[in-house]
Amino acid sequence: MANYIVTSARLAGFKPGDIVTDSDLDGSSIEALIESGHISTHTVKKSAKTKDTDEKE
Amino acid sequence: MATSVYLSNPSVTVNSVDLQDQCTSATVNYVLEQLETTAFGDTARKYGGAAITSLQNNSIEIELYQSYASAETEATIYGLVGITTNVVVAPASGVASATNPIYTLTGCYLESHTPINASLGELSTITLTFTGGVLTKAVA
Repeated sequence: MANYIVTSARLAGFKPGDIVTDSDLDGSSIEALIESGHISTHTVKKSAKTKDTDEKE
Repeated sequence: MATSVYLSNPSVTVNSVDLQDQCTSATVNYVLEQLETTAFGDTARKYGGAAITSLQNNSIEIELYQSYASAETEATIYGLVGITTNVVVAPASGVASATNPIYTLTGCYLESHTPINASLGELSTITLTFTGGVLTKAVA
């Protein structure tokens, strides 16, 4: 099941920033919603790993 | 006499997108095709019957103000031409009830769209007709 992030204030029942799934949009054209800027594909960003580069003395 | 006056409340959703504030009219046509069942012995034409289930042939027509802004009318509608989607129309926003039935046309088809309908000195509008699909009425 794919997740999408709501990117416009027009998606019925949701607000920008909400996460919606395929089932939330059942019957709607997801491709059209993405193209029209109402949702975008949602990817979970991993937090950047930090690396200690200081050399030990 | 109770009747309905449509002011600002009707809700119109196309492909899950709320277009209420761009919409000026909406017409939901619920049609079950007429099948003739007249037979020998009848003295008048007959149509349908308890054992006859005809096909739905529904449509929804809506008129919208055109807008080329981000995530507005043109962006929402253009990608729907030639595919099926859902359209939801209700007399008022809010939950479904006996006095606010929500009509959903599932799997309806948008055959055409007029991206530019421009006249000097007038607001641009578009008229869309969604055809086919199954109409359901929710009252709760």
